[in-house]
Amino acid sequence: MTGAHEVLLETERLSVSFGGLRAVDDVSLALRAGIVTTLVGPNGAGKTTLFNLITGHLAPHAGSVRWLGRRITGQPHWRIARAGIGRTFQDLKLFDHMSVLDNVLAVTERDAWLWQRGGAAGAAQRLARAEAALQAVGLADRRHARALDLAYAQRKFLSVARLLASGARLWLLDEPASGLDPRSYERFLALLREQVAHGCTICIIEHNLDIVVGISDRIVFLDQGRVLAEGDPKSILSDPNLAAIYFGERIQ
Amino acid sequence: MQAYLTNLAVLIGINAILAVTLNFVLGYAGIFSMAHAVFFGVGAYTATWVAIKLGGGLLLATGAGMAVAALISLALALPALRVRGEYFVAASLGLQMLAITVFSEWKAFTGGIGGITNIPPASLFGFQFTTPAQYLVLTLACLAAVIAIVRALVRGSFGRSLKAIRDNETAASTYGKNVAVIKTIAVAVSSSLAAVAGALYAFYMSFVNVESFVLDTSVLLIAMVVIGGVATLTGPIVGTLLILLLPAALSYLPGLPSTEIGSIQQIVYGAAMVLLMIFRPGGVWSLRRREGDPR
Amino acid sequence: MLLLQLLINGLQLGAIYALTAVGFALIFGSTRIFHVAHGAAFTLAAYLFWWSFTKLHWHWLAALVLAAAVVIAFGVAMERWIYRPIQRHEGAFFTVFIAAFGMQIVVQNAVGTVFGRGFETVTVALSRAVPVATGLYVAPVAAVAIGTAIVCFIALAWFLTRTHIGTALRALSDNPDLVRVFGLDPARLAQVAFALGSALVVPGAALTAATQGINPNIGAHIMLISLAATIVGGIGSLTGAACGGLLLGLAESLALWKLDAQWSEGVTFVILFVFIIFRPAGFLGRPIGAK
Repeated sequence: MTGAHEVLLETERLSVSFGGLRAVDDVSLALRAGIVTTLVGPNGAGKTTLFNLITGHLAPHAGSVRWLGRRITGQPHWRIARAGIGRTFQDLKLFDHMSVLDNVLAVTERDAWLWQRGGAAGAAQRLARAEAALQAVGLADRRHARALDLAYAQRKFLSVARLLASGARLWLLDEPASGLDPRSYERFLALLREQVAHGCTICIIEHNLDIVVGISDRIVFLDQGRVLAEGDPKSILSDPNLAAIYFGERIQ
Repeated sequence: MQAYLTNLAVLIGINAILAVTLNFVLGYAGIFSMAHAVFFGVGAYTATWVAIKLGGGLLLATGAGMAVAALISLALALPALRVRGEYFVAASLGLQMLAITVFSEWKAFTGGIGGITNIPPASLFGFQFTTPAQYLVLTLACLAAVIAIVRALVRGSFGRSLKAIRDNETAASTYGKNVAVIKTIAVAVSSSLAAVAGALYAFYMSFVNVESFVLDTSVLLIAMVVIGGVATLTGPIVGTLLILLLPAALSYLPGLPSTEIGSIQQIVYGAAMVLLMIFRPGGVWSLRRREGDPR
Repeated sequence: MLLLQLLINGLQLGAIYALTAVGFALIFGSTRIFHVAHGAAFTLAAYLFWWSFTKLHWHWLAALVLAAAVVIAFGVAMERWIYRPIQRHEGAFFTVFIAAFGMQIVVQNAVGTVFGRGFETVTVALSRAVPVATGLYVAPVAAVAIGTAIVCFIALAWFLTRTHIGTALRALSDNPDLVRVFGLDPARLAQVAFALGSALVVPGAALTAATQGINPNIGAHIMLISLAATIVGGIGSLTGAACGGLLLGLAESLALWKLDAQWSEGVTFVILFVFIIFRPAGFLGRPIGAK
């Protein structure tokens, strides 16, 4: 099913421990262009920790991460972000007191200096990118509203708009669909499909199994930091052992 | 009377520069500096040294002050801003207390506890600033320049970065912002512009000594910024006016012993800070419009 | 001999600093509130002790009790009337910090206005130094300081590990919701933290009045020490804060071997800065990890 989709991100035997607890244990997986991968697993399985390892917010104790063939393990997170890895958060982490437009513009301004390079032309380009991102998520008419004042679904779309404007090729989404009404959910799905068609790869953490089935091309099942299984949605979700682990009865 | 008012206006202008520059880091970036008076002092002492030892004019003296202040602030900020915000508070408090000792002991540069007197007047392309009225014009010009610089930065991409970091630092770093560097640059800009106020002060008073650069001064500046209103361009100026005019206002109240006016002034703005934080964290200036307009 | 003298003085100073720093670390550790009015509590305790003992001629125990009562009331009132309303609103670090800071200003100046701005000391028999060996003068108050610190720390450790409330306090910083699940009220626990943390300044304050003397500006110095000790010891570790306080006291005293007294704050700053650069987690703190 995966065919000839190139591997964009690869983790190899990635591990990290907190105290004596192995939060992520020997995880090797590959995220390919054009594929939506979903991470599932019970609470505490290490899914968010895995995201933190990939984005560079957490340093692993063993293993490596490769992005577009280059090792990025241990690099500072801002550099990894600029290389094209983007992420959303369960609690959104929007820039609440800034306007919708500023939320997205801020993401396009990467240079850590008093001004950005590129002069006026560069500024115009960044503004155009920001506007396009807002258009894509349907927030263009709310560009001057304060982020704090938006409705919940709009706030979720704003967090996606930030990702769009950043030009990221890897999207790490943490429970992006929770709380969305059916129409917004459809719009969101369409957006993901479009990104994936353009060569991005998307990795989602999701608990709602209906959403998982609707969205995923591939599923990775994590438990206690280890990859227990991976494959297409149908076979993973019909496995009774995995279901038991997911719902809390450990057979092992 | 006019002399009194002119003098007051110059001091308000100088303090306003300090408040506006402190607001840049405190209000917009959320960086708590207890050491702003140190950079005020560094600017004053450096400008004095350049004026006396090198015969430098206003531009050279101020430029030197700005450079030294920026370097010291980098030394403070680069390590301390890598880690949590609380560390910068502690480190800046430590720097302020250390600076008092250095200012008092380094006789060659600062004149020790006695300070330095007979500082030559500021000269700009041959013109010498001698009268208070001339210094008032100079101060207001500098204040306008500082406000213009801060305004340009705040309204541009740098301001957006600062506000993003203030609103949600994790998200800002996730989207590629090098938070430590951006914060450090903000501190360097703020400190070097504060040094401008220091140079002005040294030339105007033609006398500098450590008493002007102590912890109480840093505290006073924080009060000006907080009470006036953070993260706005006008707030710190309002705060400066309120706090500097307070002793004059208090002296009209009957029954207050004049020796205690300093203390009472401090009690008033200390209490004002506490009450504002409970009821109106945006400061006095935010009372006049809907709270939280995107700025 | 001088070195030994300075060492003993350093231990005495370190004991005082350790007690005060642990008070701050306890409050910050349990409630996550950056209580920069801790220095104000110290100033209040010191002045009340000095005034009731020297001016009202109370028994030292009564003076201590007065100081403790006021300071505990101060801490609890700060939590109830200032920090809690702020946290209901928005509770940003900025707002909490400035409010505490404002309070510190008010107290420092009020104390100066009421009690005078001069340097005051408490003279007791204990503070008179006795020659112990040639060139070595030790005042019994040094032993009192060290002994008090040890006793207080043992009591505190017992409280935090053996009592219900103590264990809940330790849980509060990690997980306030969990605390609620066990039927305890985070707000009440916060008050306990503030009461306990503020009370810990009392021995140090009284001892400072009896040894070095006090003036209304000690609050700032104590605040710097408490902050530095907490960072050096490691945020999240009370033992670390105590060790940090001890280290700073020893360093400040031993520095007198080569430097003049006014450089003591410089010594504190240098130690703090070295730790920030090379070991930001402090001695015993949890590593600065993902945010």
